[in-house]
Amino acid sequence: MPQLNSVYRHRAADRVLTTVDTYRLSGGYLALEKALGEMTADELLYVFHRSGLRGRGGAGFPMGRKASFLPKDAQLAKYLVCNADESEPGTFKDREIMELNPHQLIEGMVLAGYAIGAERGYIYIRGEYEYQAQILDAAIEAARESGYLGSDIAGSKVDFDLTLYRGAGAYICGEETGLLESLEGKRGQPRLKPPFPAVKGLWASPTLLNNVETLAALPPIVENGPDWYAGMGTEKSPGTKVFSISGHVTKPGNYEVVLGDTTLRELIFDMAGGLREGRSFKACWVGGSSVPVLAEQHLDTPLDYESLQEAGTFLGSGGCIVMDDSGCIVRASLRLASFYRHESCGKCTPCREGTGWMENVLQRMVDGEGRMEDFELMEALFGRIGGKCLCALADGAVAPISSAIRLFRKDFVRVVSEGSPLPQPMSPQLEMSGGRANA
Amino acid sequence: MPDYAPVDLTGTDLVEFELNGRTVKAPAGTMLVDACAANGVEVPIFCYEPRLGDPLGACRQCLVSVEGIPGLTTACSTPVAAEMMVDTVSEEVREAQDGILELLLENHPLDCPVCDKGGECPLQDRTFRFGPGESRMVEPKRHFPKPLKLSPQIALDRERCISCYRCVRFSQDVSEDGNLTMSERGGRSEITTFTGDSYNGRFTGNVIDLCPVGALTSIPYRFTSRPWDIQNTPSVCASCSVGCNTELTLREGEIKRVQGRDEPNWQVEEGWLCNVGRWGYGADQAPQRLRQPILRDGGETRECSLEEAVAAAGLVLAHEAHTTVLLGGDVTVEEAFIAKELAAGPLPDAQVGSAGVVGAALGPLRALPAAQLGDIDGADLVVVVGGDPANQHPVAELRLRKARRAGARIVLVGPRAQELESLGESIRTAPGNLAEGLTSAVAQIATVKRPLVVWDELDLDAEPDAAVVLATALGDNAAASQLELTSEVNGAGLRALGVAPHSRLVDQDLGGVLAVRANPGAGPGGDAWNRALDSGGPIVVIASHHSELTERATVVIPCSSHFEHEGVLVTAGQRAQRLRPGAAGPEQSAPGWEILIALSHRLGVALEYRSPRSAFAAATASAPALSGLDYDTLGDLGAEIATSPASDVNGAGAPRAHDGEGLPLVTGRSVFGGPEAHLSEGLVVTATGEEAVLHPAEAARLNVADANLITLNSPNGECTVRLRLDPGAPEGAVFAVRGVPGGTVESLLAPDRAPVNVTVNTA
Ligand SMILES: Cc1cc2nc3c(=O)[nH]c(=O)nc-3n(C[C@H](O)[C@H](O)[C@H](O)COP(=O)(O)O)c2cc1C
Ligand code: SF4
Ligand code: FES
Repeated sequence: MPQLNSVYRHRAADRVLTTVDTYRLSGGYLALEKALGEMTADELLYVFHRSGLRGRGGAGFPMGRKASFLPKDAQLAKYLVCNADESEPGTFKDREIMELNPHQLIEGMVLAGYAIGAERGYIYIRGEYEYQAQILDAAIEAARESGYLGSDIAGSKVDFDLTLYRGAGAYICGEETGLLESLEGKRGQPRLKPPFPAVKGLWASPTLLNNVETLAALPPIVENGPDWYAGMGTEKSPGTKVFSISGHVTKPGNYEVVLGDTTLRELIFDMAGGLREGRSFKACWVGGSSVPVLAEQHLDTPLDYESLQEAGTFLGSGGCIVMDDSGCIVRASLRLASFYRHESCGKCTPCREGTGWMENVLQRMVDGEGRMEDFELMEALFGRIGGKCLCALADGAVAPISSAIRLFRKDFVRVVSEGSPLPQPMSPQLEMSGGRANA
Repeated sequence: MPDYAPVDLTGTDLVEFELNGRTVKAPAGTMLVDACAANGVEVPIFCYEPRLGDPLGACRQCLVSVEGIPGLTTACSTPVAAEMMVDTVSEEVREAQDGILELLLENHPLDCPVCDKGGECPLQDRTFRFGPGESRMVEPKRHFPKPLKLSPQIALDRERCISCYRCVRFSQDVSEDGNLTMSERGGRSEITTFTGDSYNGRFTGNVIDLCPVGALTSIPYRFTSRPWDIQNTPSVCASCSVGCNTELTLREGEIKRVQGRDEPNWQVEEGWLCNVGRWGYGADQAPQRLRQPILRDGGETRECSLEEAVAAAGLVLAHEAHTTVLLGGDVTVEEAFIAKELAAGPLPDAQVGSAGVVGAALGPLRALPAAQLGDIDGADLVVVVGGDPANQHPVAELRLRKARRAGARIVLVGPRAQELESLGESIRTAPGNLAEGLTSAVAQIATVKRPLVVWDELDLDAEPDAAVVLATALGDNAAASQLELTSEVNGAGLRALGVAPHSRLVDQDLGGVLAVRANPGAGPGGDAWNRALDSGGPIVVIASHHSELTERATVVIPCSSHFEHEGVLVTAGQRAQRLRPGAAGPEQSAPGWEILIALSHRLGVALEYRSPRSAFAAATASAPALSGLDYDTLGDLGAEIATSPASDVNGAGAPRAHDGEGLPLVTGRSVFGGPEAHLSEGLVVTATGEEAVLHPAEAARLNVADANLITLNSPNGECTVRLRLDPGAPEGAVFAVRGVPGGTVESLLAPDRAPVNVTVNTA
């Protein structure tokens, strides 16, 4: 079903657009021809700015503003980097774009590259996306053959080319500076900021780094004008956002919503088909796993940056993980703690040591060895880790766990006082919905 | 290891900021940790180290609060700005710093009682001062099997590691060997080499000083001492003429450890040491150490007391019609001065000479403004002429790398392939063509703001025309300076005292010989020296170690090593620096100066110096270049001596002619294959040997094969050595490493190191 108000052409056209021809038939590469032929780089930058487009990788930073931070007079080459690491748990929206509509990303990157004066772009794609990497590789080659990449693009005298770079499976390589280190061939660990990548990024040169969804939004913005985009959504959250919804819903998948128009309840219960028969809603991590968890009382929150923040969480990557009452919040928290312990790069003391400690305490609780003083200890750990580190992974590790203990304290207390988590993990229903049962 | 960078609070670029309610000053842009330290406020740190380049911000120990910055910020990475309001003691800051320590100790084994670092451990200290009372962790700690050998000299205990990355950054960003890395991630991170092989390199030992916990410890030092039963003494390394400032650790009269100083000499080594400087002390405890005076009477050899030996020395020398005093290149200023006095009075008709070259054309270069190693930091162009700093003057390499990182252009011109070629533009010159090879460098010197030339004494001595070209180019740029890498440790001191090289004496009748730390038979022209010594009179040797010369001497008097006595060495950059005794030395040994004074008594004209201090005072009175210096002005960090006045250039028209048939021979030495490296138990596994190096095409022409033994013949001697083929070596010359104990490469050379050609044959 073609989607109204869709920014992503494969959704609007409801078809797969992996070839240059199919993409062009859906209006692809017109924005590129228009911008490179008729607009100056500064005019293009202004379009980005005016659209109000915010970064879709997690932090929601205005894209046009970030692009304008690159020094204009720098002697060094500039780079554009696309973050296709998509490593946030529950997030698979970038994957869909790369799989079904790779040219929109390529076109977006040519536009962004032209606007900032970069002649080289990199797509850093997560190692596990082997299939998607093949599609992108083929699309890049085809775009080059059609004159949309390389030198003198579409007769405009503009040069820009792309290189696809595959990661090796570390969550931290999705963090922008960890990604840049990895792209430079080093161990993927975040850098101290400032200097920010806009000033000193890849190879110590000015670099603009954006998420796949962010960059792919640029062609329609250029084609339809920034006001078209800014006209959707709310003042602070313009445009549309793709939510990846997974977990205990009957129709998991990607859903594009106009920001502010849809509530969390609508996303889960209308678009994603609601919960399974007989189940009730328990919890949901709406912006990937690195955000505070939400409960029943938050279901009517509109999906936009400011409303979600008011509800105590973040829009994040839009990876919405839903859990019904068959799940156990203590076990879920332990699983998340294990994830962050495993993925901490180890650079910062609080993150390296603290994520392991949180996991240990939760593990004890699950093993029936929790103590009431563990609540105080956990609070102390949250304070010792949160806001004390180089990158946001550590804060992301604290957020879902501290919020779970606060929102679902009764569950935790019960586990600690009764000695074991309830209910048992992996109920039979889960098997039916495609989950892995351990029985 | 310095915790904080030195901050100059006297400059004009200071800004005011508020520190814990007090208004204080620091230069704008100083890192907050350093600015606080300069104003008497200690902010605890672990990963920060002022010498490791840009701050890393990893350990998070230095969190402080700065008004306007949300949350807390790392003081190690926040530059001071005017009117900043900084709080390092608030409850929030204290709680955060306390929290980091608790987390650092979470998995730390707390095995301080059995840890070498215990008692001098920053983690232990800071835990006492800033840390929590006890851990709240009830789970088992992370375990790793106990120590691994990171290298033959370095043990790694992974449980104690706090992932501060200091060692990794040293390897990546200071020595740039790129060898160390962190493997795994998160709590499982561990220090390792990329290849999994041993961490070998010229400077690896510095990671021990850098480690703020007991994760990296020195294998030779392990378990030998505890911090409360040792004494530390500041001294100077005498393994090459760089003269790195060291701290000697002494226990029960013996040297147990050499390390960089907490307060380094920023003009010299900045706290870094090469591995020979760090572990070479083991040579003092080697079997080759002279521990007992020896007398040889006819065919009979016997041990005797010190007193008897000195008496015998006096007796045999007094009987000679004339005498020759031979000084090693590392005698102290005091020893050389007293030896000169002996020659001027008590010794019969004496002449004095020392190791080293004449350097006829080097005067004008030496008269130009002398730079210190530290001045390399501010240069925009560094021209390295000749030599092989990485192997001959190791710590100079670290300065050159630092300059390159800071953006200086590096140009290397010289006859040999060398380690540092990748640092910049490298111009390889055929022997005899150095002057021509300098053309581009000379043009660059004229156009930059702060050029600095680092030059090798021996290579420029061989090509005097190049020295003149260089002196002229430098003289034309008023901001230019020069740094001589001298071949002898105290070469500049000997020159200041007016001691001429002994090569001029080899063809003369030596008469009775008094050799002080000298062993000319193992040096250039060794065969000629041995003939001269054979036909001369009795030989008295004052030395710290056995050698070919002590084997043939009539009297052998053991003297202190440079770890055991007091004295002054004038090292690179014409810097006079004090040696201090860290160890007592063998019972039957004495400091060289004392032996020489005792000898003067025996010779009937007693010299009146009662201490090295008074001998030094007399030396400075007699030598204009040293005037104004005394032990107090030298202090812990030394001082520059006066630049020698410009002299006329003699015989500077052309490179010195090569004597003999065949290919020109280019030699170099390596500190890492020198006596300390071979004699010290801790170093011998990594010590390098003698070798000859040829380009494969050259070897094909000469019909010699890789890894075979070859024989080199020059007019001065013959030497058999293993051949290595290296496509990086220039054609048209033979390269050889000399200076390895027991080696014979030196014998190919003339006593005055006049250039030679050699023929090459399979042995
Ligand atoms: C631990 C961590 C993981 C991240 N992973 C991703 C990721 O997989 N993809 C992504 O686009 N951004 C990720 N980010 C956010 C990036 O750092 C960065 O903010 C983003 O890519 C910028 O692009 P945008 O402005 O278009 O959102 C991650 C951040 C952190 C702290
Ligand atoms: S917060 Fe964690 S993941 Fe981020 S840099 Fe620090 S240690 Fe690495
Ligand atoms: S000392 Fe500042 S973060 Fe380590």
